[in-house]
Amino acid sequence: MNTLAEETSLPKESESLWGKAWYKFRRDRTGMIALGVVIFFMFIALGVWAGLWGSGWSNVGGDMWAGPSPEHWLGTNIIGQDIYSRAIYSTKTAFEVGMVVAILSTILGGILGALSGYFTNSWVDELILWLMGVLDSIPFYLFVAAIAYALQGYPYSMHIAMIATFWTTTARLVRGEVIKLKNFEFVEAARAIGLPQGKIIFRHIMPNTFHILLVQATIVFVGAIKSEVILSFLGLGVVDGVSWGLMIAESTQEVQAGHYSNFLTASTFLFVLVMAFNMFSDSLQDALDPKKVSA
Amino acid sequence: MIIRACALLFLSSLLLAGGCSDGPKTTGMKVYRHSLNGSPTSLDPAQSATIYANHVVVNIYDTLYSYKYLARPYQIKPNLAAAMPDVSEDGLTYTIRIKKGVEFTDDPAFPDGKGRELTAADFVYSLKRHFDPKTRSQGSWFWSGRIKGMADWKQAGSDYDKEVEGLKALDRYTIRIILNKPFPQLVHTLAQGYSAIVPHEAVNYYGREFSVRPVGSGPFRLQTFDSVRAVLVRNPKYRKEPIDLAYEGYDEAIHGKFGIEKIEGRAPPLVDRLEIHFIQESLSRWNSFTKGDEIQYAGIPKELLDDVLARKQPNVLLKPEYAQRFFMTSGIETGFVHTDFNMADPEIGYNKDKRREEMNHALRCAIRYAFNWHERNKRFYNDMGVIFPGIIPPVVPEYDPDGPKDSLEYSPEKGKKLLEEAGWTADKLPTLTYGGVAQVDTRQIFEQYRGWLTKIGYPKEKIVFDSYASFGDFNKAVKQAKIKIVGMGWGLDYPDAENTLQLFYGPNGSPGSNNANFNDPEYNRLYEQSAVMQPSPERTKLYRRMNQIVLDSCVTISGLSRQEILLWHKNVVSYPDRSIVGGFHLKYVDIEEAGK
Repeated sequence: MNTLAEETSLPKESESLWGKAWYKFRRDRTGMIALGVVIFFMFIALGVWAGLWGSGWSNVGGDMWAGPSPEHWLGTNIIGQDIYSRAIYSTKTAFEVGMVVAILSTILGGILGALSGYFTNSWVDELILWLMGVLDSIPFYLFVAAIAYALQGYPYSMHIAMIATFWTTTARLVRGEVIKLKNFEFVEAARAIGLPQGKIIFRHIMPNTFHILLVQATIVFVGAIKSEVILSFLGLGVVDGVSWGLMIAESTQEVQAGHYSNFLTASTFLFVLVMAFNMFSDSLQDALDPKKVSA
Repeated sequence: MIIRACALLFLSSLLLAGGCSDGPKTTGMKVYRHSLNGSPTSLDPAQSATIYANHVVVNIYDTLYSYKYLARPYQIKPNLAAAMPDVSEDGLTYTIRIKKGVEFTDDPAFPDGKGRELTAADFVYSLKRHFDPKTRSQGSWFWSGRIKGMADWKQAGSDYDKEVEGLKALDRYTIRIILNKPFPQLVHTLAQGYSAIVPHEAVNYYGREFSVRPVGSGPFRLQTFDSVRAVLVRNPKYRKEPIDLAYEGYDEAIHGKFGIEKIEGRAPPLVDRLEIHFIQESLSRWNSFTKGDEIQYAGIPKELLDDVLARKQPNVLLKPEYAQRFFMTSGIETGFVHTDFNMADPEIGYNKDKRREEMNHALRCAIRYAFNWHERNKRFYNDMGVIFPGIIPPVVPEYDPDGPKDSLEYSPEKGKKLLEEAGWTADKLPTLTYGGVAQVDTRQIFEQYRGWLTKIGYPKEKIVFDSYASFGDFNKAVKQAKIKIVGMGWGLDYPDAENTLQLFYGPNGSPGSNNANFNDPEYNRLYEQSAVMQPSPERTKLYRRMNQIVLDSCVTISGLSRQEILLWHKNVVSYPDRSIVGGFHLKYVDIEEAGK
């Protein structure tokens, strides 16, 4: 019998959480397509960042509200700026805001959530819960608008405003997970051998919450892009440059005059990216759900 | 069953009647519904800083002077004053007689609720209020430093029982004003809402509420006021003065088509109820206007101009479907838009290093060459604005239509050459901050400006937008001289170029009205010389010389006066005006059918 040979010729999926999740995610067609779209947008953003395309977003050489043409694929706005270049450049703005806010708010939420969860019922937990309660009790857009308004003129005021509000959900989720994890045997073992608390929290417990952090980061990413668009529309967002929000704000007057290109272009770009990211996020959540992964 | 049905019908009819009622009964009344694109926050004359407040204030209160309803160029005329003032030879003493028998409206503020006669002492009190810190007047700058003894009165604690040497009621109907130095525009300031006459009883009785409980002697009295509308009703005690159209400047060729001749000989106000609706959104206002029975006056939203107008140039024409329904007037505004350089900033204005100052001068002139007025007019003002060189707009008599136009030339090549000759290179050029309110229009104007500057070789990253959440914040930054380049508009308070020339007078620098902080000794000297002169060819010559100094200094990129198009329903007899005549025109408005 050559069972050994048969067994070794079959690729064996990893037994780890990440291996199982990746295996499952690959089989989710919707998730893979959504990931492809997100990667495509990321590619556009990287191209803008590298100066390969979109650099002419501020040129004013075109005619007023020109229709689509070989020179201006999606037409121009009131001051003759190329709408296609502006939409492409706005992709970079969206990713910039999304990445900064997602990464920083996830780190902040992860750390504070872990501390809160590990020190449950202590003053640390009380303080962090109180802070989260206060921040959550303020209507989100009102709070973001207030911070953006207070820090006006500072180019990262919008980022700060979003980070200050987005971390709380992540922290709550991480806190719940840490409360569960801290009673596991590996944590008790770590305590028994006298490891310092910091090491236990950040080296042993937190890595086990990464699946939550990853999913939460994708959700925050989408939320940040949408918030940026709304804040820019309200005049509290992007200070210099262009974004889909600014393009939609411009279009409110143009649409009344029968010029739809700015509105349709910005809305389409925003819709496709947000939709793809949402679907990607859903699939990732399914793939990383320990109950579903182990099933 | 029948009884129940009848009861339901009765109740429904009651509800329907309740839903349709518009406050007090208006059936049979002549109601005119005006609209403005902003709302006043206070109806206290001392706070009437906006045209919105001014529109309401001059209809509730009396001013000594006003403007002739139809005459253009604008002409001032006595209103509460019995005649134009007697001015002394040296131009320092003004003696003004007011009409007798004019009464304030009845109000609980007066003993027994009966309005008393308005006297010269009321004017003195009203003007003193501006210099009482408790009033927090926004209009004191009109007379600040001009009336003899007023500064001392304020310094001594603003005691109303103490007299001001330069502001006295000689008797019940005679006012005497003594100035520190001649101020030929004084009479125009007495035609502004700021100078409206208030009774001290109402100020004391209502206290802080006085801002929303006005008590005056004007053609109307206030019925209700909120952020949505002000409802005014005819003041039955208003003096009966028949309209003399010839005196008001009636011209058959201009005004005949509007049916204005129908108001000849009648005594204003001509409508029973005046509603002024405050609707900020131009499209909402337009929709309400075109529905037919709500707003009876509006401007055209710029987005709809192509749909409404058959022709924009050389004269504005409505499309037939609109011409059938509405009357229209059009004309350029009594003001202009301009872009100033902040001369207090050593990177672009005055500099201790004379060589650098010369370079800055070249830089400003180069930027002016990059400015494309034609494109600005086309993209933002529907190609209907009037472009003129300098700071004397076409609407004032001192405007020089034959003046040199080279400051309006668009030539990026010349701009680039000028920069090279002055020794500017991309790395040496300073970062320019362009200030503005965080609004779509302002941002687009900035982006257009930045696009032009790149054509003279200015690096894009060195032109940044400094955005502010509100006009108040932006204005504060301007007044603190924080912004290098300031795009602004200016509406004339009175039809005299002095009102725009003071914008560049050195001592008016920030936080005053001189946003450019321009401080040229020759200009200042000429301004001081002309400020005390009565209108004359000599004064016009000085004005034009000052205009040229501003242009030669490249201290501003100016200017453009925007086109104003006003429409009103054909059953309304009116000749509307938003600026100089402003709210004064509302007492002449008539409605041909009652009870609408």
